[in-house]
Amino acid sequence: MKKWYFIAILTLVAAVVLSGCGAKNSNNAGSEAGNSSEDVTYMFATDAAYAPMEYMDKDNITGFDIEFLDLVMQEAGLKHEVKHTGWDGMLEGVKQANEFQAGISSISITDERKQTYDYSMPYFESINVIMVKEGSDIKSALDLKGKKVAVQSGTTADILMTGIMGEGNTDLKKFDNNAVALLELDQGGADAVVADIAIVRDYIKKNPDKKYVEVSDTTNFTPEYYGILYPKGSDLKAKLDPAIKAVIENGKYAELYKKWFGEEPNTANLLNAK
Amino acid sequence: MDFRFDIIWDYAPLLLKGTLYTIAISISSILLGSILGLGVSFGKMSSRRFLRWPMQSYVNFFRGTPLLVQIYIVHFGLIPLLYGKTNALIAAITALSLNAAAYTAEIYRAGIQSIDKGQMEAAKSLGMTHAQAMRFVILPQAIRRMIPAFGNEFIVLVKDSSLVALITAPEIMYWSNAMKAQYIRVWEPYLAAAFIYFVLTYFLSKLLAAVERKV
Repeated sequence: MKKWYFIAILTLVAAVVLSGCGAKNSNNAGSEAGNSSEDVTYMFATDAAYAPMEYMDKDNITGFDIEFLDLVMQEAGLKHEVKHTGWDGMLEGVKQANEFQAGISSISITDERKQTYDYSMPYFESINVIMVKEGSDIKSALDLKGKKVAVQSGTTADILMTGIMGEGNTDLKKFDNNAVALLELDQGGADAVVADIAIVRDYIKKNPDKKYVEVSDTTNFTPEYYGILYPKGSDLKAKLDPAIKAVIENGKYAELYKKWFGEEPNTANLLNAK
Repeated sequence: MDFRFDIIWDYAPLLLKGTLYTIAISISSILLGSILGLGVSFGKMSSRRFLRWPMQSYVNFFRGTPLLVQIYIVHFGLIPLLYGKTNALIAAITALSLNAAAYTAEIYRAGIQSIDKGQMEAAKSLGMTHAQAMRFVILPQAIRRMIPAFGNEFIVLVKDSSLVALITAPEIMYWSNAMKAQYIRVWEPYLAAAFIYFVLTYFLSKLLAAVERKV
C-alpha cells in the first residue's frame, strides 16, 4: 500500500510542476506596469555571447545593443535592467512574460517568430556574409554545397544554410555560439563560417594574422532587421517605438553606430523598413 | 500547454539517426574506456613510482575537471594537434573514453583490492607468478564485485554523451537542439531527447542486471 501512496504523490508533484510551467502567463508584468509607471524596472533578457552586439566584459553586459537600449530607455524615461540568460532562456523567458518583459539580442525579425512574439520597429540592418580563408574558391552561398560550414544554431545563418544545404546535412555544423563556430574554422574542421556581418567584420579586424576574408552574396542572403522582442500583446511596443524612432532621428543612433562600427549607418533603410 | 507532436514527427528520422550515433559513440567509449582503465588501474597499483605517479595524475585530472571542458580541449586542441583538423566524432569518442578510463580505473582498483590479500599469497605459494595469480585467481572474483559499479558508469556515460552535441557530433541532443532552434520551442525537443535517453538506459540496465545474474 505504502508504495502506491508514494507513486501517487510523486505523480501529483510532477503534474503540478509541469502545469506550472505553462500557467504563469496570467500575471503579466506588462499589465502591472500600466498602473504604476514610475517605479517599475523593466527586465530585458539577452544572450550576451555575440560580440560586438552584446557580450560580457568581465561581469558587465555591454555591446551595441545594450548601449542602444540605454539610449532608448532614457528617451522613454523608463528604468530597465538587462540580464544574460542565454538564447533559449531569453526566448522562453520572453514568451512566458513573467520575469522578463522583453529581449534584445540581435534578434532578426522573421515571420516564423512573429507567430509567437511581437517585435519593436526595426532598429538595426544586418545581412549574413560568408567568412573564408584568403584565396578560397568560395564566391557565393551556393559554392558552400558539399563544403563544411559552421554556423550558430538558431540564427538566420543557420536557417539560410539549412535551406541551401538541406535539413539533416551533417556538413552544416550547428554550434552553440559563434565563438566556437569560428574556432572550428580556425582548427580546420570547417571551410567557412556564415554569420552576421558585424560578427564577421569584428573577428577579421581582431585577428588580422589569420588571413580571413569576407564574401558577400546579396542574392542568397538578403538584408534583415533586428527588433526588440516582446511577448504577444505587450504594451511596451507602444511605449518604445516612438523612443526608438526619436533616437534614430536625432542622430544619437548614428553616433553610437560610428563608435562601434566606425562607419555611418543607413538610417533611411531602417525607417523605411516595415 | 500545447505540445506539438508533429514537430517531433518531423525530426523523427534525424532523432533516430542520432540515436544510432549515440549508441555507437557510447559503445566505443565504454569499450575503449574499460580497456584503457584497466591499464591505468594497474599503473596506479604498481609499486614502481614512475608508473604510479603518471597514472595517479591521469585519474586526478580526468576526475577533477568537468567533462564538458575536456570535450572542448580534445576537440579544439588534442585532435587538431594529432589529426591536423577537427573531427567531431573522433573527438567525442576520444574525450568520453579518456574520461571513462579514469573512472573505470578506480572501479578496477576497488574490485581488485577488495579481494583478500591471502588469496594472492596462497596463489603464489602454489607456484603461480603475479600475473598468473591475477589472471586466474584475483580477477575472476573481483570482476563479479565490479559489475554493479560498471553498470553505473556505463549508464552515466550514455547520458554524458549528450554533451558532445556541443562540438556538433550528430547524436540525439544535436538534433534535439536543431529542432529547438528551428521551431523556437523547448519542451518538444527536450522531452523527446529525455524519452530516448531513458529508453536507452532502461534497456542497458536490464542488460546489466542479466549479466550480473549470469556471472
